[in-house]
Amino acid sequence: MSTILFIKVFLYLQLVGQGVKVTRMKSKWLILFMVFSLFLVACGGGSDEAAVEEVVDEEPAETLDAPATTAAPAEPEEDPMGICLVLDIGGLGDLSFNDLAYAGYEKAVADFGMEGTFLEPEGGGENRGELLELCAEAGNDLIIGNGFLFDASMNEVAPNYPDTNFAITDGVAEPGNVRGMLFNHAEGSFLAGVAAALKTQTNNVGFLGGVDFPLIHEFEQGFIAGVKAVNPDIEIQIGYATVAPDFGGFNDQVKGKEIALAQYEAGADIIYHAAGGTGTGMFEAAKEVSESTGSKVWGIGVDFDQYYQVGNALPELQEYILSSMVKSVDVSIYNAAKATMEGTFTGGASVDNLATGGIYLSYSGGYIDDIKDQIDSYKEKIMSGEIVPPSARP
Amino acid sequence: MKMRFRLVSVSAPIIALTISFGLSSLILLIIGKDPYETFKIMFEYGIRGKSIVSIINRSIPLYISAIAVAVGFKMGLFNIGVEGQYLMGSLVAAYIGAQFSIITPLHILFIIIVAVATSSLWAAIAGYLKVEKGIHEVISTIMLNYIGTGLIAYSLTTIFDEPNSNYDLPRTKELPETGKMPPLNKFFNIEDLQDLHGFLVIAVLVGIFYYWLVWKTTLGFDLRITGSNPIAAKFSGINPNKLVVIAMITSGGFAGLVGLGPLLSYFHRYTIDFPTGLGFAGIGVALLGRNHPFGMAVGALLFAFLQRSAQILDLNDVPKEIEQMMQAFILLIVVVFYEVIRRFIVKQQVKDASKRSDE
Amino acid sequence: MKLAINIKNITKTYPGVLANSDVSIKVKSGDIHAIVGENGAGKSTLMKILYGMVKPDSGNIEIFENKANMSSPKDSINLGIGMVHQHFMLAKNLTVLENIILGIDRPFLKNIKLSKYKTEIQKVMELYSLNIDLNQYVDELSVGEKQRVEIIKVLYRGAKILILDEPTAVLVPQEVKDLFKNLKDLKNNGVTVLFISHKLDEVLEIADEISVMRSGQMIDTVLNDNVSKTQLAEMMIGKSLPTPPARLTSTDEEVILKVENLKSNDENGRTIFEDVSFEVHKSEILGIAGVEGNGQKEVVEAIIGIQALDSGKVIFKNNDLEKQGTRERLESGISFIPEDRQLQAMIMEMDLTNNVIIGRQNIKKYKSSLGTVKMKNAVNESEKVISAFEVKTPGTSTLATALSGGNQQKFVVGRELEDDPSLLIASQPTRGIDIGAQALIWEKLRNSRDEGLSVLLISADLEELIGLSDRIIVFYQGKLVKEIEAENITPEDLGSYMTGLKK
Repeated sequence: MSTILFIKVFLYLQLVGQGVKVTRMKSKWLILFMVFSLFLVACGGGSDEAAVEEVVDEEPAETLDAPATTAAPAEPEEDPMGICLVLDIGGLGDLSFNDLAYAGYEKAVADFGMEGTFLEPEGGGENRGELLELCAEAGNDLIIGNGFLFDASMNEVAPNYPDTNFAITDGVAEPGNVRGMLFNHAEGSFLAGVAAALKTQTNNVGFLGGVDFPLIHEFEQGFIAGVKAVNPDIEIQIGYATVAPDFGGFNDQVKGKEIALAQYEAGADIIYHAAGGTGTGMFEAAKEVSESTGSKVWGIGVDFDQYYQVGNALPELQEYILSSMVKSVDVSIYNAAKATMEGTFTGGASVDNLATGGIYLSYSGGYIDDIKDQIDSYKEKIMSGEIVPPSARP
Repeated sequence: MKMRFRLVSVSAPIIALTISFGLSSLILLIIGKDPYETFKIMFEYGIRGKSIVSIINRSIPLYISAIAVAVGFKMGLFNIGVEGQYLMGSLVAAYIGAQFSIITPLHILFIIIVAVATSSLWAAIAGYLKVEKGIHEVISTIMLNYIGTGLIAYSLTTIFDEPNSNYDLPRTKELPETGKMPPLNKFFNIEDLQDLHGFLVIAVLVGIFYYWLVWKTTLGFDLRITGSNPIAAKFSGINPNKLVVIAMITSGGFAGLVGLGPLLSYFHRYTIDFPTGLGFAGIGVALLGRNHPFGMAVGALLFAFLQRSAQILDLNDVPKEIEQMMQAFILLIVVVFYEVIRRFIVKQQVKDASKRSDE
Repeated sequence: MKLAINIKNITKTYPGVLANSDVSIKVKSGDIHAIVGENGAGKSTLMKILYGMVKPDSGNIEIFENKANMSSPKDSINLGIGMVHQHFMLAKNLTVLENIILGIDRPFLKNIKLSKYKTEIQKVMELYSLNIDLNQYVDELSVGEKQRVEIIKVLYRGAKILILDEPTAVLVPQEVKDLFKNLKDLKNNGVTVLFISHKLDEVLEIADEISVMRSGQMIDTVLNDNVSKTQLAEMMIGKSLPTPPARLTSTDEEVILKVENLKSNDENGRTIFEDVSFEVHKSEILGIAGVEGNGQKEVVEAIIGIQALDSGKVIFKNNDLEKQGTRERLESGISFIPEDRQLQAMIMEMDLTNNVIIGRQNIKKYKSSLGTVKMKNAVNESEKVISAFEVKTPGTSTLATALSGGNQQKFVVGRELEDDPSLLIASQPTRGIDIGAQALIWEKLRNSRDEGLSVLLISADLEELIGLSDRIIVFYQGKLVKEIEAENITPEDLGSYMTGLKK
């Protein structure tokens, strides 16, 4: 936001520099308007005038009420740190990965007074590199590529900007100025499996994956191992929304609901999802099945603490959210921003797991408070290395 | 056609462009942005060296995709399946091309042939269905797009997959060095910029070939008269069924080249990040360029320019969706004005003809 | 006598074209008044002005001796003028009744009381002795009946003046008779009829007064009784009618085309035609007569390979054509003039140069060994056709759509005769074109025939058919019912064979 602010102020100053020659501006407008005057007949000339004035007025006004302007834009020598977040396909509002990254980014911008920019790629491919480069050229200090797909672009762009910090989520890249922010999904999913196994009444649980490919297999395998560790006889149903390379499965509520309904109907009473926005459909299914059969079924969330995230957006679903396997992308991004502010940023891979606290099982709602001791004992065994949850299919 | 009619024809896209800028300005005003500054920023960003290279690189597959669509359009055949055809072609070509290594020109030629053959075959299915089963090509090509996506997903994760470290993302083996298209930077003396895709040369050749095929050959003549008047075409001895299959295969053949720019010059393998949507974008470019090789080149460059230059907008707090709106405006308006101008030209000719009969 | 229409000094110019120049015409109330003239003589413009579709540059119109100021067809309808267009404006999947009330002003969203309309319409029908089943679907009507629906439609809207634009162009002789009877009934009931045509026989049969237009000017208005067909024709084209020269050569014995037992069914298994056998000799014009829809059109399409055959043989110059597609047949020396030049013979939005290639794309003259089109040859050929057939056009690069119907047809006939074919199949070669063009096409066909061309001629214009043909075969219900020498038959007799009255 502050970059935008800066450019706005810059434009405004340019105008002031010209003595805010409104007349001159109007002549520019005139040319523009003459071009499409035909189409403005209906609007009438008066509204054009108003529009011009509005814009002229608005430039300084926006400057004043812009958010979090702790860095004074009028004093350019106090150049604030810049953070740039390039989201993955799906973009903002996916209730998952991208929203999580954005939350961390937003917090960093607010807390550290950074100039923030976030971009969304238009369709993958070369565009990722172009956007990273765009951020780097604009003088940002920290540039985050949100998602493993950014690895090639990082390798391509980061070496050209050695003084800029880069970070990539769920992936690693070769250049020394790129931090690879990895997460041990299997550990958290193992605990989700433990919780499901302890809570199931029907000895039947489900797993809903977004896209069938190795990253999600980490969740799947960890979950299976966790369930089996408690009771090897529990039946586990596995379902995926789509198969790679179709990544639509991360954002398909209808399909999520369909799969979840099928699993509940086949006897599952708890389903764990690793499917981004698709998971919302699972919670809807849980509500529907619970209400129609009278016996309560549950869903376990992922990435966010969905008791609050989904629960805030759709309060009627909150009571069906047993727990969440929280993956703190937001914390990792916040930490990268903090390190950049403090000058302590380091490249290379960093793995968040149960031990670092970047991965954990949430107790929000209190539905699994009664089994906290058992979960904790598994957690300790994982942290001590006694149990190593598998992260790939055998 | 006479020069003055040609000039009149060109005015349609120019009018469309102007009006679309006007409408976009209006929308910018409504959301409280300064249109003049917005376009200025876009333009200044768009004409930077790196941007120009990016624009040309983007326009290559757009252009070829438009040509693939246009071949069908010329005979009134709507090949909506360019999307699936080029993805299939690219995948198979990427896989087979990575299996061996021969000298570069032959290697690239081989990859091109594989891609063209695969895409043509895929398109031929739609041709066959239309001719033998009477299924409209719009329906069948859309369905084939879905089937293609599924097939690609399946084969990419099974037979074509190369195991790798990064979450074992489905992808084919990388093309050997001999299968990569060398960039043109040396030729244009712009070695400080990013790679200018060597496939540009192929795109230009494709454009020339398309022109020759459609406007100079008897096959092209048959395509054009079938497109204008299928009944007269039939009475002139054209076998419409045969022509549908030929046109579909030709269109699919061009479609096979769409993905090769990105494949040979940038990705060097088929990954899940391989660009999609080019087949649909081509429809718009073909419409804008009126199926003419030069018009479509300008259209592809224009859309590529808008896409590239819109990137800067997010940094300036202007929603970059304004660019998509502009593209939509341009297409919508240009269609209207092409019709207006077509009528104008016919009217003028009628006048000329009746003048002649008065004499 | 009261005047129904008094058009005074109407002038209408389009840029470069003087469509109507100082045109005046007086139409007496209760008369049948014909306006004749070649295509492009200005009849259509004058009617459009009268119907409010076009505004004149100068001059004025009086309707029933009141000054009229029409700016749209609605105004004309209110003044009591109704127009029946050559192409019917009917919704074919609605009934006759629904079509007649379609578009009548009535309160929005109000229940349509069909029975009320029905009685009103029946009253109109009784008054003018027009018969039709109001409950029938328009789809099921014959052309003549559809025309009657159009007439009832305008009468029901209160028309006292009826404009009919080329009403007989689409009708068979019996239907023409019915129409004329209807028109006379209308006249007896005080309706004024304005009848536009270029068929002089019909005009002479029905009209009380005849106005002749030529190149935008009104030449004269004459009483029917005081004029002969030859005089009218001369007024129309400004020169004497070409009289057909006596045949100098005789029909050759050599058989060019022979068809044997042709049979074809449609997809529902109904027979389109069967047992069709005939021969065309060298240097002979064989006429095919038949009311539309009796299989003759399909037979000629089968000869060029467009209509599929279930059985039978087509033998052209002793070669069985069974294995050959349309293209091969056209290239082996058969030329084809389809009945609808705009739909079947030309590409309207292409120029004449491109149009001359159509049908012969693959012959050596136009196709190089590389597979490219030899455009230069096409330009030369189209220039040849334009000069040989007096096609009025600014040049070869003019779009086909810019030409008048007669000029389009001359171009098509010229194109088909250009390569000295052995057999020409001509379907309605002069339908809907002006007399000048018609005479030219007739002359060219005769000359080609005399030089050895065989012609298979389908025409709904029986005089043309009898005048041009050496022999005539008649189709009725998909079968060949009669073969006659052309000299020995009158149009009336031919009509009886065509309608199955005589066998």
